[in-house]
Amino acid sequence: MAAPLPPRDPLFEVEKLSLVHDGFGGRPPASVLKNVSVAVERGGALVLLGPSGSGKSTLLRCLNRLVEPTGGSVRFDGRDIRALDPRDLRRRAALVMQTPVLFEGTVRDNLRVRPAGTPGDFSEASLASAAVEVGLDETMLDRDAATLSGGEKQRVTIARALLRDPQALLLDEPTSALDPPNAALVVETVSRLRELRQLTIVAVTHQPELVRRVGGCLLYLVRGEVLAYERADGGVTDARLQAFLAGEHASQSPDRP
Amino acid sequence: MSAVGSVLDLSLSQLALAFLLVGVVIAISIRQGLGVGRDLVVGSLRAVVQLYLVGLILAVVFRAAQWYWVLLILAVMTAVAAQAATSRLAKPMPGARGIAALALTVSTAVTLAYVIGVIVQVRPWYEPQYIIPIAGMILGSAMTSAALAGDRLQGDLRVRADEVEARLALGFSGRDAVQPMARTALRAAMIPTVNGMMTVGLVQLPGMMTGQILAGSSPLLAIKYQLVVVFMQAAATALASLLFVRLAVGRYLTPAHQLRRYLL
Repeated sequence: MAAPLPPRDPLFEVEKLSLVHDGFGGRPPASVLKNVSVAVERGGALVLLGPSGSGKSTLLRCLNRLVEPTGGSVRFDGRDIRALDPRDLRRRAALVMQTPVLFEGTVRDNLRVRPAGTPGDFSEASLASAAVEVGLDETMLDRDAATLSGGEKQRVTIARALLRDPQALLLDEPTSALDPPNAALVVETVSRLRELRQLTIVAVTHQPELVRRVGGCLLYLVRGEVLAYERADGGVTDARLQAFLAGEHASQSPDRP
Repeated sequence: MSAVGSVLDLSLSQLALAFLLVGVVIAISIRQGLGVGRDLVVGSLRAVVQLYLVGLILAVVFRAAQWYWVLLILAVMTAVAAQAATSRLAKPMPGARGIAALALTVSTAVTLAYVIGVIVQVRPWYEPQYIIPIAGMILGSAMTSAALAGDRLQGDLRVRADEVEARLALGFSGRDAVQPMARTALRAAMIPTVNGMMTVGLVQLPGMMTGQILAGSSPLLAIKYQLVVVFMQAAATALASLLFVRLAVGRYLTPAHQLRRYLL
């Protein structure tokens, strides 16, 4: 199986991305990303794999410009993201983080939290349907967010992202802080949303199940470099990717990929 | 003992007796294994040398009574305070000393100008007997509050970085995303001042008031000055921490509404 063909209608185009942190505060300079190029088809999926510290989360955060690369470029929907308002970009490419962050208040408060002038429908009906869409009961809108389980919290953050009507979901290990049943529910939610809303998905994950359900392409990063790039559904040939999908990734050390 | 005016002068041997008090602390440190004995010795020796030098310099400046000498002294005091305010940060903050210098200079200048020019109405304004101790007290409060604010801001941004990122990812501006941490830092910086106001005079007499009373002032005059001091210190605390937090927050954000997480 050869590397995937470049997409005909890309939503994200990452070109020769690199990130070097200067050695501030006595720390040695660190090269976090090295010359990474990849593209994601509109409505497609990309899964970022690799040992911890390989730059996966950083690459993900370059896509919505939470992190500024020191070289290369990212295009979103055909435009260099530096030409977009970062706040607008982040509404269109919504990030779901490993540990769900909920603010003080009810689930409703959390779904409605937004800066003034955020476009989108935040009516009661819209909140309820977003809750249902991620598998939450609409009676949960009145619950204190602090009393939710981890899986419920994560689904609230996904619903919160959906209310902004995003084109893409960026998932940063969305299930790794959850127990297996809750993780399965989140995986289920994400793959269903992808089909229903034609969302583009970019996910960092250690969970083979999420890879199988979301499909798309796999990118294997080690120390900020792309070591392998293949289609998930075409029979993976790279030994490292095979090992990962078989669940053996945990035994790998970052030094010996 | 010999009396100078109404104040009892202290002889060198009497000062040496005061040094015995440090011996008590060192003994406790050794017995309890606190390991601060060395620092205590160095600290007390530094106190002796620093205060003696300051006393000599102040004696010269008081005699000269020139505005440029006064300004020079104030500048040195501010530089030392800015250094001290940022030296205890858990992690280096880029440009911290410059930020502290600016915050301390502005907060102290504003407060000092009001106290000297409007409240006490010292003429000429650079009369060293007034401006130097008053500036010192203002600067001390400003320094403490900037240090507290900086420490709290940095710690909170580090611990709550995910929360900041979550807000940014929801489309909030950088300033809005760090607003909760900025507010906690400000509150942390002001709490000691507010608490101090609550118990002032009840728990202990403030240093300046004590000094004035020892120097022969009537307690009622000393209290009037002390009230001015309490209020001016509150103002300096608020101004310095507000400025410091505003400027420091800018070091952790970029124009593209990003949190410079690797600095935390």
